[in-house]
Formats: sequence, C-alpha cells, structure tokens
Amino acid sequence: MEENSFNLPKQTHDIFAVMARGAFISSNGSRDGMNRLYDVINNPENFDRLQAYFNVIRYNIERGNNFFYFSKLSEPNSELEKKLERFERYIDIIDLFASMDNKIGIGSRFRPSEIAEECNANVRLKQKLQKIPLYRSETLHNKVREICDLMSRDSFLELEDEKSESYKVLDSYNYLLDVINSVAIYEDSGSTSDDAQGIIYN
Amino acid sequence: MSLQVNVKDLLSNLYHNRGVVELLFGQRDHITVNELLGRDDISEEQYRKLVALDILYEYENVVSLNDAVVAMFEDFMEIGEVTPGFINDYINELKRHIKFYQEAREMRFLRSIKKYLKRINSTLTREIIKLQKNVDDTYKNESNYRIKLQKLEDYREKRDTIIEFIKQTNLIVDETRILFNITNDTELFGIVSALKISLIENLDFLIEIQTDITDFINKIQYQLDVYKKAQRLKEVKDHGTLHFKTNFREIVSNINTLKHNGHKTPKTKIPIDFLYSDDGHVLCKRIAEKYKITRLMVRGLADKMAGNFKDKGVEQQIKLDTEKLVERFLAQTKLNLFEYLIDYKFPKTIGTVSFEERLSLFVEIAMEYQNNLDFKYRLQYHDYIEAVTNLKKRLGYTLILPLKEKAKKEKATK
Repeated sequence: MEENSFNLPKQTHDIFAVMARGAFISSNGSRDGMNRLYDVINNPENFDRLQAYFNVIRYNIERGNNFFYFSKLSEPNSELEKKLERFERYIDIIDLFASMDNKIGIGSRFRPSEIAEECNANVRLKQKLQKIPLYRSETLHNKVREICDLMSRDSFLELEDEKSESYKVLDSYNYLLDVINSVAIYEDSGSTSDDAQGIIYN
Repeated sequence: MSLQVNVKDLLSNLYHNRGVVELLFGQRDHITVNELLGRDDISEEQYRKLVALDILYEYENVVSLNDAVVAMFEDFMEIGEVTPGFINDYINELKRHIKFYQEAREMRFLRSIKKYLKRINSTLTREIIKLQKNVDDTYKNESNYRIKLQKLEDYREKRDTIIEFIKQTNLIVDETRILFNITNDTELFGIVSALKISLIENLDFLIEIQTDITDFINKIQYQLDVYKKAQRLKEVKDHGTLHFKTNFREIVSNINTLKHNGHKTPKTKIPIDFLYSDDGHVLCKRIAEKYKITRLMVRGLADKMAGNFKDKGVEQQIKLDTEKLVERFLAQTKLNLFEYLIDYKFPKTIGTVSFEERLSLFVEIAMEYQNNLDFKYRLQYHDYIEAVTNLKKRLGYTLILPLKEKAKKEKATK
C-alpha cells in the first residue's frame, strides 16, 4: 500500500475527497467524521506528511483558525468576475447575519425559520433579505433556507439535524470573516470612523 | 408543608424515584406535568406524594425539583452557577470564631475554626472549577452576543472577588499564626498548611482563567468588529462604490480556495474491465434506460443462485462417488446390486440418502456400468412402507450381480 510507504494517515483519501471538492474541514464539524479528519490533519507529523504528499500533485493545504482547505500551487487564480460576484453575495449574507438580534457566530445553532421570523418582524432586515440577489424563492422562509443551503454547500454551515432543520456555524466561517476584515475601506479624509468601539448598528 | 425530618425517608424517596429525579435534574424547566406522568416510572399517586413531600414543585404546569435537592447535586458535581458569596460568609464566620477563641481558649471555638478553614479551602477550589466550566460553556453555547459578553464580564468580576477572598484568607492565616502556634494542635497545622498550598495553586488557576476570559472576549470582539465592517462594506456596496473605494477587488483576486477558483474535482474515467462486472452491468443498464439504448440492455445479470444450491452440491457428490461405489460392489459377492445399495451406509458428510435417491442410483449404475455387471433377468421383490402415504408397497427389481472374472473375459471376447 502506498499509504504505508509514504507513512500517511489512513484517512488521506477522505481528506482529499472533501478538500478537493473545494470544501473546508472545520474542527467543529460533525458530519462524515469531519472533526476526526480535522484532528488527523492538525497532528503536526501528519500535517507535514500530507502537505508534502499533496504538494506533489500541486495541492497545498492552507491552515486557518480551526479549519483547513486546499489551494492550487502555481496556477493562476481565475474567474475573477465570478469570484467578485460570489464574495459580494457573502457580504450581503454576513451583513444580514450581523444585523440580527441574535448574532450568528461560530458555533451558533439556528433554524432558518428563526431568521425568517425575525426578518418578518423587522422591516430593515426584511429589506436586506429581499435584496439579496439570485434567489427566486417567494417566501422569506424559503429564501433563508436557500441561503442556508448555499452556505452549507460552501461548507460554512452544517445541517445538523434534518428533522428540525437546525444549522450550525462551522469554524470555516472564520475564513469569510478574515476576508472581510482584510478589505480596507479608503475613507474620504473628512469622515473618519469615530464609531469604532461599542454598539453595532442594528 | 410537610417537613422532611428524616434523612432516611428523604433518601429512600429520592431513591425510589431516581429515574424521575435524574430526568428533572437533567432537564430543568422543561418538563410539564403531563410529560412526566406519561412516563412509565411514576404514577399519579407517586407524583402527588412527591409534591406533598416538597421534593417536586409544580408551577404553571411545569415540574421542577426542589432547589435544595438541585443545589445538593450541583455541589457534589461541581457544576452550577458560581457563588463566591459563600466564601465571604465562611471568612466572616472564621473571623468571628477566632475572636471568640482569643477571648476564651475553648475547644469548641477551635473546632469551628478548623471547620471553616476546611470549608474555605474546599469551597474555593470548587468555585474555581465551576468558574472555569462556566466560562468555557458560556463562550461555546451562549447564542446571544451581548449576553455572552456580559456573562463573560461578570465572570471576570467573580474571578476578582475570588482573588480578593484568597487575599483575605491569606491575611487571616498570617495574622493568627501566633495564635495558632499557641494551640499546638497538629491537626490545625495540617489544615493551615494545606490551605496555604491550595491558595497559591488556586491563584495560578485564576490567572489562567483570566487569560481564557480575555481570549474569549477578544474573539467575540473580533467577530463583532468584523460584523461591523461587513455592515459598512454593505453600505459601500449599496452606494455602488465597493470596487472603487475599497481594495475588495484585489483581496478577492488573491483568494486561493479551490471552490472559488473554479477548480473542479478531478474526474476519472471508468475502466473498461469494470463494465464487464456485475456492478458495471447495473451501471450500463441505468445509462441505457436513461438514453433509451436497447443494445446495452440485452446482456442480463446471472440469475440468483438457488437457495438449495448446497443440496445440489451433495447430489453432485453422490454422482461423483458412483464409480467408487461400483468398484466396491464388484469387489463383494454376497449381495445383489439392489440389496447392496439399499443397505449401503453412505458417509455422514453426504447426509441421509432417501429410498428414492437410492433407487435412482440403482438405475443409473445399471445403465452406465452394464458391461461390468451380470444381469440375471430375474425379478426379485422388495417390500417397503412408503414414507408419505404409509402404504405397504412391493417393488420388483432385476437381479444384478457383479460380473465374475471368467464371465468378464467372455463378454470382452464377444
């Protein structure tokens, strides 16, 4: 077996199967033994071996705050337009999450119906939700569901319980936060941010 | 209100309903009366009794355990809310008793002093463990941000209170050292030195907890900051200036995740050999149905193996053995073929060989080995009882004997 000759963990195939799909492996994910896979990669010995192994086929394991993902070595990143569109949508979604009374953060559990309910009660949230593009669904609830579905396909959320439709926010959500944090806003010299500390506008 | 004066009664009541007590302790504030009575382990009557005994309370149809019972369990299991106030009480009591002891050197005051020193020690440790658990729990499970932050700040305060108590205790112990020395009580020395050690240890723990709390608060603050940023970005975006007033474009273009760069999962082709396997056939069939290609549907799967596959195997074995059987028959001279087969003891591995099977063997051997057999063209009769109908039957058969050597040669020359 090659696994023995490279001294790789026996989960190598599973790790590849998840990450080559473009998904993240988060430490608090529980589906398909995700947290086990995280532990396997997080073991320093395994990490070095896996990194060396995957580098041969031009995959690079990237480490984030409690999550891992793949990037491609020495290949130009393409599809800028699509990427921009996608991340603009993430901004919309995170803006919505940020404006909720019950802020959705890493490790939070929620049901789409809860969000829909809150949006229904709050005109500003309702507007935000309705303005998120690309969704054809009519009702607020279905729209939230589609957002959740999309986010879990991108492995930022996990459908924890199908019966009650409860989702859990995974550590990979940090990735989005980091991206947003790294965007710099060029201020007009006059209006500097003096509301830096304290309350979030709701 | 009926008082529980007897420890034994209380314990036995708790024990009898331990299932219910465990449930109520595990799910405080959730169980309604109907839910509880729906369970098998408590009857309406028992429930009434427990309520009468004040072990259970019922409020607006929700059942809960007596707070004292809950507190007892929590104390033992070192969970529940952090309550440093107890330590304060103990410290005050300790001070009071020390004062008494200074007035009158009596054993009963010394005993109380020992008791409270011990209590302070164990309570401090317990509270700190609880604090640690609660901080962790709050960070991980509290969903509301503002409450989460507030709770963590509260724990920070509680931590400071506990530190204050540790200092106070230290002070008291130092001040009364001379007094304690006079008592010359070895047990007291033991308690004091244990307390001193654990005070130092606990201070270390608290420092650790402090870093934890700070860390958690920072993480939450970070998320809050990012959320604020997200909201501002959204605002910028709504103004249509996202691409001009920020370096959004640059940041996004540097994003290197597979998913966002359109890298697809590597695809592999199906090996041809696989298509010839049964699994491959199923796959082909599905594709054929999808695209309506009849050519692919022709080849079918092999039929399922029959359930009596093994029995057939046994028959096969009997057939294979016939040659040996005939050899053995030829080697003897006493019996004719029919008698030989009817009485033949087949090996156990074959199992029981029925009368009919023996008959068919007889016919088979008669046909296949006719050159080696001496057909007498005479009938003999065999009486037997048919197994199914239970009727007496008589069967006539040809007498067949092994061919004698001489006759064999004759036959060969013919």
